[in-house]
Amino acid sequence: MSDSPKPTNPNPTNPIARYREARKERIDSLAQLSARDRVAVGAGAGGPGSDWTPSPDEVSVTESGTIEEKPGVSLWRSAWLRLRRNPVFLLGLTITIIFVLVAIFAPWIAPKDPVTGYLIDQVRRQTNPVPGPQPGFPLGGDHLGRDLLSRLIVGSRQTLIVGVLATFGGFIGGLILGTLAGALGGWVDSLVMRLVDVMLSIPSLVLALSIGAVASRPSQWTLIIAIAVVQVPIFARLLRGSLLAQRSSDHVLAAQALGIKRGPIIFRHMLPNAMGPVIVQATLALAVAIIDAAALSFIGLGDPDQRTPEWGAMLGQAQTYIYDHPHLAYYPAICIIVVALGFTLMGESLREALDPKTRR
Amino acid sequence: MTTTTTERRAAVRETAPLLSVRDLTVTFQRHGEEPFRAVDGVSFDVRPGETVGLVGESGCGKSVTSLAIMRLLPKRGNKVTGTVNFEGTDLLSLSDAKMRDRRGRDIAMVFQDPLSSLNPVVPLGVQVAEVLERHRGMSRKAAMPVAAELLKRVGIPDPVRRLRDYPHQLSGGMRQRALIAIAVACAPRLLIADEPTTALDVTIQAQILALLKELVEDTGTALIMITHDLGVVAGLCDEVNVLYGGRIVERGDRHPLFRDPRHPYTNGLLASIPRLDAAGERLTPIPGSVADNLPWDHACAFAPRCSQPIEICTQVTPQLEVADGRALRCHNPVTSGWSGPSAGQTEGDVAR
Amino acid sequence: MSVTEESKATEATPDDDILLNVEGVKVHFPIKRGVIFDKTIGYVYAVDGVDLQIRRGETYGLVGESGCGKSTLGRAILNLEPPTDGHVIFDGVDIASLKGEDLRRKRQDLQMVFQDPLSSLDPRQSVESILVEGMKAHGIAKDAKEARPRLRELLAAVGLPPQALSKYPHEFSGGQRQRIGIARALSVNPKLIVADEPVSALDVSVQAQVINLLGDLQEEFGLTYIIIAHDLAVVRHISDRIGVMYLGSLVEEAAAADLYTTPLHPYTKALLSAVPIPDPDIEDEREQILLTGDLPSPSNPPSGCRFHTRCPWRQETRCDDERPALRVVEIDGFPSGHRVACHFAEQIHRGEIEPHKVEPIAVDPSSFEVPEDHGTMMAEPPGVNTASGGDPARGL
Repeated sequence: MSDSPKPTNPNPTNPIARYREARKERIDSLAQLSARDRVAVGAGAGGPGSDWTPSPDEVSVTESGTIEEKPGVSLWRSAWLRLRRNPVFLLGLTITIIFVLVAIFAPWIAPKDPVTGYLIDQVRRQTNPVPGPQPGFPLGGDHLGRDLLSRLIVGSRQTLIVGVLATFGGFIGGLILGTLAGALGGWVDSLVMRLVDVMLSIPSLVLALSIGAVASRPSQWTLIIAIAVVQVPIFARLLRGSLLAQRSSDHVLAAQALGIKRGPIIFRHMLPNAMGPVIVQATLALAVAIIDAAALSFIGLGDPDQRTPEWGAMLGQAQTYIYDHPHLAYYPAICIIVVALGFTLMGESLREALDPKTRR
Repeated sequence: MTTTTTERRAAVRETAPLLSVRDLTVTFQRHGEEPFRAVDGVSFDVRPGETVGLVGESGCGKSVTSLAIMRLLPKRGNKVTGTVNFEGTDLLSLSDAKMRDRRGRDIAMVFQDPLSSLNPVVPLGVQVAEVLERHRGMSRKAAMPVAAELLKRVGIPDPVRRLRDYPHQLSGGMRQRALIAIAVACAPRLLIADEPTTALDVTIQAQILALLKELVEDTGTALIMITHDLGVVAGLCDEVNVLYGGRIVERGDRHPLFRDPRHPYTNGLLASIPRLDAAGERLTPIPGSVADNLPWDHACAFAPRCSQPIEICTQVTPQLEVADGRALRCHNPVTSGWSGPSAGQTEGDVAR
Repeated sequence: MSVTEESKATEATPDDDILLNVEGVKVHFPIKRGVIFDKTIGYVYAVDGVDLQIRRGETYGLVGESGCGKSTLGRAILNLEPPTDGHVIFDGVDIASLKGEDLRRKRQDLQMVFQDPLSSLDPRQSVESILVEGMKAHGIAKDAKEARPRLRELLAAVGLPPQALSKYPHEFSGGQRQRIGIARALSVNPKLIVADEPVSALDVSVQAQVINLLGDLQEEFGLTYIIIAHDLAVVRHISDRIGVMYLGSLVEEAAAADLYTTPLHPYTKALLSAVPIPDPDIEDEREQILLTGDLPSPSNPPSGCRFHTRCPWRQETRCDDERPALRVVEIDGFPSGHRVACHFAEQIHRGEIEPHKVEPIAVDPSSFEVPEDHGTMMAEPPGVNTASGGDPARGL
């Protein structure tokens, strides 16, 4: 087949001897080569005093390649660097910050006292149930003559408190259950997950409704607890799934192989890596909690004290006048939508930024 | 053998190319990021019946080249320039509908991951038959026996029964065979195989390579073989293009190229691979990684990793110089018996 | 020849200095199914009775194709995957029987290097905390400050500059990450390192760096290696001895050079002949033994010799029903270290048995199932045990 006789196999007469020779050579060459590598490493570290220079030294790299001098960038930081340029995230962040600021400084921002019925004189049950906009009252008043704008502004407080506390409660509950299930596994996992399954099988609003209804005296706290309880199984399930993925990941196996104790493996390696989706879920859950809170207040399961403004309750009260004075419903509804949207936009872009697949 | 091969290769080189890629450039433009030239002025020819290899490491642009030829890159975020001339038609300027007609009929592709390339919810037979229906206008009834024949052709045993099987019921090797069956269903004149054996075990790889070789010999299909494995190339390809950093750095017929690598990258790759037929001498690795590359604009990208850089390497972009069926892009080639590109002319359209 | 082998063995690794003794290790994964209560309906016989001895200071290569159980065996040796049966005796202690704190402490001596350097490094930890963690766990250093000098030494040993310490895994190239993975394994002063496909995720040009590094570190720290890989060329390059696995058991074991020059088991022969060599002249003239079909499912391994369904040298007697043991061949001049699990190794070697065509065997693919957690162990779902057409022993 060939007219160029080239040995297809290396001479197999004495492979062992050849092999021995080769190995010896390899070991001999090691000393020199590894010494060279060391120096190269020193040079790579920026030591100008190193005497070994590749030719020409400006273009060569050390064997392992170059490493930038800059300090390292953690994953959270690199996610933030990406987020900073993401217009969607910035919009969501702006909405959220404005909302939080308004909620915190509401009593000072609100032009009027939200409880006093300034315009009660103008209210005529038959002819003019809702006073319209007028100087000093840009959005007009409600059916009790109270300033609508001030009520909206102060109402953000309730929304924030309920939303944040409820989500926080759900988050903590979910964290505990999810960690128990995901990190311990076995029968603990089965038990927790069956419990979670039962909770998830009940529609969330119905569950919140029944929890709210069970309370002897509805208050802001029943609202918070009801919504938190609804959130717990969602967080628990998410975290457990995330932890399970971590448990079978290579780096957890590596930590185990290294002889790291169980506690640090769970809390240093598994949890921090499992938190990404949970944090994203938290921002999204905040939006849901705000809407749920509004819904429950709308039905009348919130704070029975009609004087404290709350967007959902305002929406509920507006239904009597929905045909003639729809603006009474529009304003709180727009507030709820915008704030929920703000959190959602933030959550979605956070999810994108933390997703390893979109990285780089 | 060498003489006959040389003669045969000389004859092949005379024939008009089936596919002629000129100055193909693919630029990735992602929102908020620097544009990145994944493929940078790549030019090569494929003649009928010829097997051409595109070899390089991850990130060298070999797969992007094949996707650009097939027009399979997403339009958004990618800019493709240059020409891809297939039998007198520029594929890059065809309408989407015209290109769809050609894909699978004139040019077919085999991918690395056979499972994700097959539709998991459609039986194998239907997937093969669909190609025949689409391009040959066959009815499903008429296509099925042909599909069975194709499965048999690529070495899938019990083909009639396999027609009803779903991809997950087949092993990796059998799936790759099925994918090849789909690719050759319409007897395409050009087959592009993108790392077809990388996901497979070595004994299965040997089966698939043997099958590809057989298909090329029997049907006269031209084959573009994209791989990172120099061993695969050594046994299969007539001509080999070595890519680095999005550009072709060396080209040659396989025998001269492997016997006499001229580019320090090709040479370094060959020196750094442990060989099954050689005892354990210390390997000579290429230092660094592709992250250390210089931009091609005013330097040789490989210079920082090169074993023999000279001053000009970091200052001037080397051009691809062509001579005697070989091409080389290097200021300071590895010295050996080759006469060098002294009489060669520069491929003008590659110059930048 | 045997004399040469003997002297070589004593010089590099004295035969009697056994660091690790693996005795009859089995790892069977139960296949469970059930609505409320999971019922075990079968087993995946990932590792099915492996005996091997690793000598102090040597490099032992384990090769085989995906699904042969080599990775599972590696993990069983480290007790990361507790063996179903058998003993793993390391320096006189049976690791397979250790539990809890005893096992955790023992892990200092046996370390692992993983295939995917990115996924095996915690993405949220800096290199410094990755490297310090193991040292703290084993009392080598109390805190990062105390560990500083050692950290620099470690990084220098794997060829990384000190500024790597403050960086995070995603900021490195693949080869650099693998160096970090190796430094982490070294950080606790292990005696044995099990490297599971240490270079297969790396670029070709970078593989050689890591292969050389592993060799250098072995000399420097007196390490013993078990290298698990599917790439025969890599394994042959770094190993002193090689064990070939097929469907959960060793089919052949020999010194690296012996295995390459005179493979005795039909599977080893086929495997070696399938590896492409980057030399067109050799490729043009190579005789390939093309195996027919795919690996049978480890949940339903063939009876007798595991390889008989694909073996071109299969005989009417013994192969189908008698499982061959790993034994020393009775051929003159063969070193005692060359063991093979084939009934007819001598006859095949002497050319008394000719290879023949293997008839395809169809197996119902739906009868197998893979347990979820061990998907990585079997890259291919159990599929057809059928053979391709064509001549099995055809040369190309």
